[in-house]
Amino acid sequence: MVSIHPTALVSNKAKLGENVSIGPFTIIHDDVEIGDNTIITSHSVIYDGTRIGKNCKIYQGVSISHLPQISKISQVSSFVKIGDGTTIHEFVTIHKASKDGNYTSIGNNVLLMAYSHIAHDVFIGDNCIIVNAVQIGGHVHIDDWAIIGGSTPVHQFCMVGKHAMVGGGFKVVKDVPPFVLAGEEPLKFNGLNSVGLRRRGFTSEQLETLKKVYKLIYDSGLNVSQAKAKIIEDFPSDPLAKEVVDFIDKSKRGIIPR
Amino acid sequence: MSGFHSTALISKNAKIGMNVSIGAYSIIYDDVEIGDNTVIGNNSVIYNGARIGNNVRILNFASVAHIPQDKKFHNEYSLLYIGDNSIIGNFTTLHRGTEATGKTVIGENVIVSHYSHIAHDCLIGNSVYIGSMVQIGGHVEIDEFSVIKDFTQIHQFCRVGKYVTLEISYKITMDIPPYIYVSQKPLRFMDLNFELFNNHNFSQEKVKSINDVYSILYFSGLNFSQAKEKIKNTFPDNPVAKELLEFIEKSSRGIIGK
Repeated sequence: MVSIHPTALVSNKAKLGENVSIGPFTIIHDDVEIGDNTIITSHSVIYDGTRIGKNCKIYQGVSISHLPQISKISQVSSFVKIGDGTTIHEFVTIHKASKDGNYTSIGNNVLLMAYSHIAHDVFIGDNCIIVNAVQIGGHVHIDDWAIIGGSTPVHQFCMVGKHAMVGGGFKVVKDVPPFVLAGEEPLKFNGLNSVGLRRRGFTSEQLETLKKVYKLIYDSGLNVSQAKAKIIEDFPSDPLAKEVVDFIDKSKRGIIPR
Repeated sequence: MSGFHSTALISKNAKIGMNVSIGAYSIIYDDVEIGDNTVIGNNSVIYNGARIGNNVRILNFASVAHIPQDKKFHNEYSLLYIGDNSIIGNFTTLHRGTEATGKTVIGENVIVSHYSHIAHDCLIGNSVYIGSMVQIGGHVEIDEFSVIKDFTQIHQFCRVGKYVTLEISYKITMDIPPYIYVSQKPLRFMDLNFELFNNHNFSQEKVKSINDVYSILYFSGLNFSQAKEKIKNTFPDNPVAKELLEFIEKSSRGIIGK
């Protein structure tokens, strides 16, 4: 049964799934779809173009699918897609895409902590953790299982690879490759995220391969394109090495140095 | 002015003292206790488990005693205490404890400025000042009369001694002993905190004993364990030395250097 608090303003056109609960003083606009069992507590505003999955929890004062913070845009019919089981804490702001029909996309089981900001056209993969007050610029791509530490701004168009972890209080202005730890100022490669990888069931052999791959990139005297060629030569069929090579290929801003 | 605004949603089970004022669109949950003469602004939400003292001022849009952002949290019962005469700023988020300690405590006469976050199981001492946008991780302890200025991040499990001043926009990742002024990246000892000593009318003798103890800790060329021994031997019954030794003893993350 859908439960809507009498003080909430919910559009008749909004599509609410089963057992959705809407708290007091929350506003749901017309073009909104909310999946089963999702809970939205008080004082949140869900604007047009929002697509929320099942079992999500959205807490106080959250703003979803508001207009992008681009000076020229006053109206756009784009979307925000939020996967299943995602938790969004207080005062998070998520903006919709800057072009008609595009999505700002947030995956399944993501944890967005208080005050974080997700700008237009951002992609966030599954199981990511975005800690307090992380400010993510437009078009940023954060892949599955990545963790961004508290108060870290992420520059627009940056990419963060799978299972990467960026420390709190730093600045991301270049691309952070998959499976690594990044810290210090300016942001540097700080070794493999071996604790995180082991927790997620990576084997010792896989970690060993990744270590060798990153040794070629960061500790062999080769530049990135030479190291890439060497990785392709040394690990022709390894899926993890391929992941790293693909990331380097896609990287427009260059990967973080050592 | 006291009284409840007609749009505020206030549970009948909440225990509310005399002369309490609650602003528009604020929400007070069931398991809440609020002391006398406390003022709660507009759009604030006081969740289950809040224990608020007398003469407290909570401004607009605050989120008080919300559930912790801890993946281990499983809806266990826990509390958040706010001491008398404290001021809680706009858009602050104060989270209640987890089963580890069961409570988050904010002392008396504390000021928490806008956008600041105090996570689960924190202990904030009396008369502490917390500037705006300060993000405090779980289990952090800040002792009385310390000043944490704007934009600072505090790593989980860090401890800050009493009478410490920290300038804006730094990052605390280790423990800070009492009575000092800290700055720079990475954070380090700069000087004794003479400004606060003046403000709190420390006697000449007390300032001198602080000076003696800390010159062994930071200016004798000894490492911390040697300095600890020397302080123990040189000042067997100096209260400042005792405080410092206890602080170092309890420190799990290590204390900051010079």
